[in-house]
Amino acid sequence: MNLHYPAFYDLKRPVREVMTKRLIGIDSKATFREGVAKMVEFSISSLVITNGGDVVGFITDTDVKRSVASGLTPETKIEQIMTTDLITVNISASVRKVLETMSKNKIKHLLVTEKGKVVGIVTVRDLEHMVRQKLETYISRE
Amino acid sequence: MRILHISDTHIGGALYFNKEMLEGILGETIKQKFDLVIHSGDVTQGGRRQEFEQARKILSRVDIPLIALAGNHDARSGGLYLFKKYIGPLNGVLEIGDAVIIHVNSAFEDSDQGRVGMVKFDMMRKALNDYSEKKIKIIVLHHHTIPIPMAGRERNVLTNAGDILDLILKEDVDLVLSGHRHYPNIYQIENTVFINAGTASATKTRYGDVNSYNIIEINERTRRVRTVRLDGKAQGFSFPKRKKRIFSDFGEREFRAVHIANTLISDSRAFLKRNFLNAMDTIKKLSPDLLVHCGGIVREGIAQDYEAAVSFMEELEVPVVYTPAGRDINYLGYYLFPTYFGSIDQRYSNENILFQGICSTQYDSQDGIVGPSQRKLLLKKLKTPEKTKAVFLHHNVLPISHSREKGLLEDSGDLLRELVDAKIDLVLTGTSSHPFAAQIGDTIVVNANSLSSVYQRSVFGNSFNIIDIYEGAIAVFEVNSLWGRRRLLGIWERNNSADDSRL
Repeated sequence: MNLHYPAFYDLKRPVREVMTKRLIGIDSKATFREGVAKMVEFSISSLVITNGGDVVGFITDTDVKRSVASGLTPETKIEQIMTTDLITVNISASVRKVLETMSKNKIKHLLVTEKGKVVGIVTVRDLEHMVRQKLETYISRE
Repeated sequence: MRILHISDTHIGGALYFNKEMLEGILGETIKQKFDLVIHSGDVTQGGRRQEFEQARKILSRVDIPLIALAGNHDARSGGLYLFKKYIGPLNGVLEIGDAVIIHVNSAFEDSDQGRVGMVKFDMMRKALNDYSEKKIKIIVLHHHTIPIPMAGRERNVLTNAGDILDLILKEDVDLVLSGHRHYPNIYQIENTVFINAGTASATKTRYGDVNSYNIIEINERTRRVRTVRLDGKAQGFSFPKRKKRIFSDFGEREFRAVHIANTLISDSRAFLKRNFLNAMDTIKKLSPDLLVHCGGIVREGIAQDYEAAVSFMEELEVPVVYTPAGRDINYLGYYLFPTYFGSIDQRYSNENILFQGICSTQYDSQDGIVGPSQRKLLLKKLKTPEKTKAVFLHHNVLPISHSREKGLLEDSGDLLRELVDAKIDLVLTGTSSHPFAAQIGDTIVVNANSLSSVYQRSVFGNSFNIIDIYEGAIAVFEVNSLWGRRRLLGIWERNNSADDSRL
């Protein structure tokens, strides 16, 4: 069975059309366990780390796995685990630019900035809807 | 930037047009400093040549930039052709400093309805993409995108208003200016302010209202609108941009509701049993405090569908409140619904929260209406001491993407205004089969996709919503029925009533 879908994503479209404009974060003084609990509660694969409203770091589920494997305890402060070298893309950048930045840095999450401030996130998952729908239509058909 | 926003002048209408009124308003451009005049359509009464000639004469006295749109009245008598000849282009983009103004014709010949066809929709999207970096983005359309109160039955919202609203919100448009219904009205949805102008010079006003126009002041940070009514009464509103994007401290979760619609339980192929069973399994694991079913329980209001629905739904061990869709009360449904699922207007409350249902359906019809008496009763039922209040109904109060405007309640303009003014925290709806969540004023409007029917419109697949109420925020997620995968539709601060303050 082959279903054909129209091109939902034009690579020239700005990231503001596909990004998530709300972010879930946690204070940098929180523990690793509290951070992971928040990721579980919200079923999200990344978390921004804040300090007085400013984004100071970022962790993804890969960082979580790595930290556990390296023997870090749940009570470790999240600021010891977070990435502080944030890779970002401007809100007006194109989807093509997003894909390029992700592949160049081998990352699946990209923070989106506007006037130098983090205002949202775009993930590979946001770009996968089409493929998923195609699969689902197949599975649901009984 | 200061804009003089006028609309629905109806020039040339022997019975309707008040020339002195319009000349007086346009005279303001000499007395006060404006950067731009925007006329959001219905320049003439009937699209006739003599009317356009008169309109050109009157409008030519404006010596600052002017954007005028064609309205449904201008499109009568082949008027769109004359509009281009006498007034200006039907569509266009104007750049003024940090701002871009995109105006798109939504009128078509000999119809009062409005639509932005695919070509113009793409043009609008392309212009928004091209000017993505502009600090101020303004869209002008004659027909309204958001239902207007005091305007009778909702028939003339753009037919593809859902797609337009989706585009506007995604592109962070600052202002959307419209006219058409001769009734001034303003809403802020997320970060966009939707301004409807009353009529500037037609005597055909609604509810004995007077003529009015808007003075808009906009910069990067704030948007001020002053509606000047010609009886001397003026109202001003200020809409600062909502900057909060990162939510890190919002306290403990107080309540979890699961919001579903259009299960369409039946023996037919329209019912996707696997999606339903998987979703029910996920819902059980989520341990919600309440499940809200916004209608479309069964495929048809017949005994075997209801019997199946009862056996499927009783598996859930959580409190459930239902509101019917048209299909639930069709045929024998009027009897089966109350017999199996309880009263028509259901209600759930504890000491902190109230969920009040309201029936919006009719027999043998997909159209929804609540009606003035029922609306009055609803507002009475909502006058209770609970901290958080939610209303649930089947039909939409805001247009939903990828669907025609048919899912909108016929009196959505009135109901929406009343619920927003009453600062109801949540309005849950369940038709048009596409997820949606946005904040209008202080009210969060959430629509549920179909949970388990083949008739759904989201590329994310069949889904339902989780509404998590925290001490300091309300979060809404969409959960895929089949996989249980979750994505955040939005999170909003609670009790932030300062945003829409009357000056």
